[in-house]
Parts: sequence; C-alpha cells; structure tokens
Amino acid sequence: MKRNISYLLALTLLCACNPDTWNLDVIGMISGTSAGIDQRAEESFAYNDAHGYPVINAASEEYKVYICTDTHVDRSRTNWEQFIRDYHADIDCPLAIHLGDLINAQNHWDYMRRPCDSIPANPLKQDTLLVVAGNHDLYFNQWSEYVRLWKRSTYYAIVRTPTGKQDLYIFIDTGEGFLGQKQTEWLTNTLNWADGQGFRHIAVCTHTHLFKRDSSQGHTSNMPLEETYALLHLLKQHNVEMFWCGHDHSREITNLGTMTAVIIDALFDREPHPAYLIANYGDEPVSFRFVELTPLVD
Amino acid sequence: MKHRLLLIICMVAAMLPAMAQVQFGTSQYAVRMNIGYNHNTTYGSYAGFDFGAFMPINQHFEMQADLRFTTARNHSIGVQLRPKFAVPVGEFYIEGRLLSNIYRMDGFNDLTQALAVGYRMEYVSFQVGMSTRLIMETPYDWHANSNIIVEPFNICYRLEVFVRPQTSPWNISLCASNMTDYQIERVWQPIFMANGLYNIDEHWQVNLSALCKPTGMFHLTAKYYGAEVRAGFAYNF
Repeated sequence: MKRNISYLLALTLLCACNPDTWNLDVIGMISGTSAGIDQRAEESFAYNDAHGYPVINAASEEYKVYICTDTHVDRSRTNWEQFIRDYHADIDCPLAIHLGDLINAQNHWDYMRRPCDSIPANPLKQDTLLVVAGNHDLYFNQWSEYVRLWKRSTYYAIVRTPTGKQDLYIFIDTGEGFLGQKQTEWLTNTLNWADGQGFRHIAVCTHTHLFKRDSSQGHTSNMPLEETYALLHLLKQHNVEMFWCGHDHSREITNLGTMTAVIIDALFDREPHPAYLIANYGDEPVSFRFVELTPLVD
Repeated sequence: MKHRLLLIICMVAAMLPAMAQVQFGTSQYAVRMNIGYNHNTTYGSYAGFDFGAFMPINQHFEMQADLRFTTARNHSIGVQLRPKFAVPVGEFYIEGRLLSNIYRMDGFNDLTQALAVGYRMEYVSFQVGMSTRLIMETPYDWHANSNIIVEPFNICYRLEVFVRPQTSPWNISLCASNMTDYQIERVWQPIFMANGLYNIDEHWQVNLSALCKPTGMFHLTAKYYGAEVRAGFAYNF
C-alpha cells in the first residue's frame, strides 16, 4: 500500500514537472502561478491604451490569413520556421496568427521568437504576426516572459482593404478556461462597438476550444459548460462569423448557425500530423484550407 | 469469449442470493428540498432552489428525480434509474441518467444521457461511465441544419469517501467527481464536494453540502471558477 501511494505521489509530482529543466510547479497544479486572467487582461488593456490596436492594410480586397497554433517550441522549431517562411512568401498574406502554446515549457521564449526576426521578410509586401497566449505560455509563472516578448493577449486588430472595407480580429485569453470578469466586459464592449462599424467579417481568435465532439480531445480540457454557453451566446448575438482556436492538436470544424468554430491542428515538431490553416477573406463568407506539413516523427 | 460471458453471468447469478445483505442509504420513499448560494466567474453570485424525490421501486431498482431553479436562469431537470445488486461486500449498481439543463439567459439547452456502473461499500462509493451531450441553440430553428452540436464521448466518474458507515445517522463525505445532481461536466473538469447529513429522527434529515469547481486542473491553467453551498432537509416516508 505504501509503495502504491509513493508511486501515486511520484506520478502526481511528475505532472507538475518541466521535463527540460526538472522544475516543479506543484502549486500550479491547484492554482496557476502566472497572474490571474483579470490581472493579465489589465496588463493587456494598459498596453492597448498606450499603443493602440493594430491596423493592417491589405493590398487587395481579397487576402489570405495564415493561422497556426500549438507550436510547443522546445528543442526544435522546424515547423514554426516553415510557417514563418510560408506566410512571408505569400504575396496575398498581410496577417499571420498564432493561437497560443507558442512554447512547450520554460526557457524557450527567445529561441521561439528568434525566427520572427531572423527569417527575412518579403521585400514585396508587409505582413504582421499576431499572437495570443495559451496554457503552456502561462505554466511556471511565464506570463511575465510572454509579456516581455509579445506585450498583450487581449486586443483586437483590423485589416483594411484598399476600398476601405474592414475585417475585425478579436484576440482573447482563454488559458484558464474562462474569460474572467474584466475580459468579458471588454469583449462585450468591443462587440457592441463592432456592431456599428460595418465590419465585413468578425473573427474571434483564442487558444481553448469550445466543444468536445470527438475522442481525439480525450486529452485536452476546455471551458466549463456555463462559460461555454455564455461565450457562445455573446458571439452569436454579435454575428461573429469565425471562431479560430487550437489547444486540442486535432482539427475539428463545427457549424452553429452562421458561426463556424475551427480547431486547427498543432504545428508541434513532434506532432504526427502537423498542419496550419490558410483562411481566404473577401466579400464572400470566409473559406479555409489546411496545409499539412511533412511529419518530423514516425 | 463465449465462455467468459457465461462465467460472468454465472458469477452475477451466484451473487444474487446475497443481494439483501447490505443496503445503503434509504430504502424508503423520500423527498428533499435545498436552497443554495452559488458563485462562478460567468454569472457572479446567484441563488438556487432544488428539490428531488427518491423512489425505491423494489429491492433491486430505485429511481431519483431532481429539479432545480436558479436566479441565473439556469434550470435543470434530471431522472436517474438505478438497478442495484448486493454483492458479498457492498453493493453494485448501474445508473442511467437523463439530464436536461436550460440556460435561458444564454439561449442554449443541453440534454445529457449517461450510463455508469457503480460500487458502494460502507465507507467508499465509486462510479464510472460514459455520457453523451446534445447542445441545442434556442429558440430552435427547424429550417437550419446546424442548431445541434453533439459531444458524443465523455467519461463521467465519482469517488466519494465517508467518515462513517453509510447507514449511520450522521455522516460526512468528501467527493471528487465531474457529476452533480444537476450537471455532468466534461471529463477533465472535476468538481470537489463535501457533504454532511444528520438524521433528526426516523423521518427528518438535514443536509449541508459545499462544492468547489476549479477550471483547468488538467491541461489548462488551474484557477478557481465557482462554488456552491447548499442546505436543506429531506423527509423519509
């Protein structure tokens, strides 16, 4: 019996362990050590107030958005580098999005960020990379490191076409499985404001998925039911067209009335089926396709 | 495979004579009523009022019906059917559940069906099973083809530990589960509960329970999400 209890304790402690550094975050198993969602939202709002929201100019009425998630960069970053090269190379892509879990655990932030600066941009166009935090970006009290490099996790961006049409991208932080009071207020206010602006498309970009429709998601948790329905209600009320998310590592497309929720595959180097997504934005409803990369593992 | 099935049937048949050896909980018709204070980060603070009926149809079959209203306009109705078999130590049961939650404020209903097997001894009760959820947007648009979302596979579980034998006139228990009388959460969303009861006399019983619901304990960042305190009484006929 004593031996079984010892095994159980050891297993529990391993769950709180960063395998790269053998650091333990036992408290994090019960209550995450990063700042809570209300504080993270406040820090994002302060940055938004000081620096404004990104406005990106598309070169034409129709453009592409490259979206990836769950790169979990640790000792290698091959797929992440491939994604950066691909979106730089596409002349029709003014915006690339990373939906969180940028790194796997501590001490990989600079290694993950480096290709963003070192891979040369396309001289024929301008593009912007926007990110949102995932749960792996918060473990081991890493919010401060995330903020150092990426500045905010709750914000919006507007893509403007040459004729003045605008598409709205709202980024929300769901690393804890709920939005929290301040972020919910901000999201409600932002969507209320958006109602009067005549946006062509509205998309919400976040890390955690809304639904759990297949067994592939056996290993990932998502939001409590109350939060799921409250968030869905808010998004539906304001005619959000796309809900881009990750976290599950396995693609899933769910249509609910006029809204489509898409879970995008992981881009993790050790993922057996790594893929990212290209969304086509224009006057028609948003369409998309997955781009599968060559697996780096057997 | 055929032999194994026969062996299992024989084992169950062999246990049948022992069925009456151990009986847990009440074997009488009972009704209960509770009022509760709830808090979560989605709705803030709200009150709940619930009542239920326990119906032992016969020695091997019991039913339970639950109904709850809350000021957050999240209402629930549920039915549980429970065939049970006494075994030499403890009691084995199968539980079928049908649970509907109406989230009026959010414009969604869900309907959850669960089938679980359970085993209860004097100090420990354990249950594991599968559930399926249908999520429906309301008002339902019969002309749309995407109003219903199905979450077909979910594991439900419950482990409860009692400080005294379950037949005692008073008891306290600690429980970890993704199921309450009014909700079956997703598998990685555990709910932690503490329950207490005291039998005033042969008819009246008082209950007090508390519940804590964190989020993200598995594969997300763990934080407090919600809590509930419920108090009420039950009457055994």
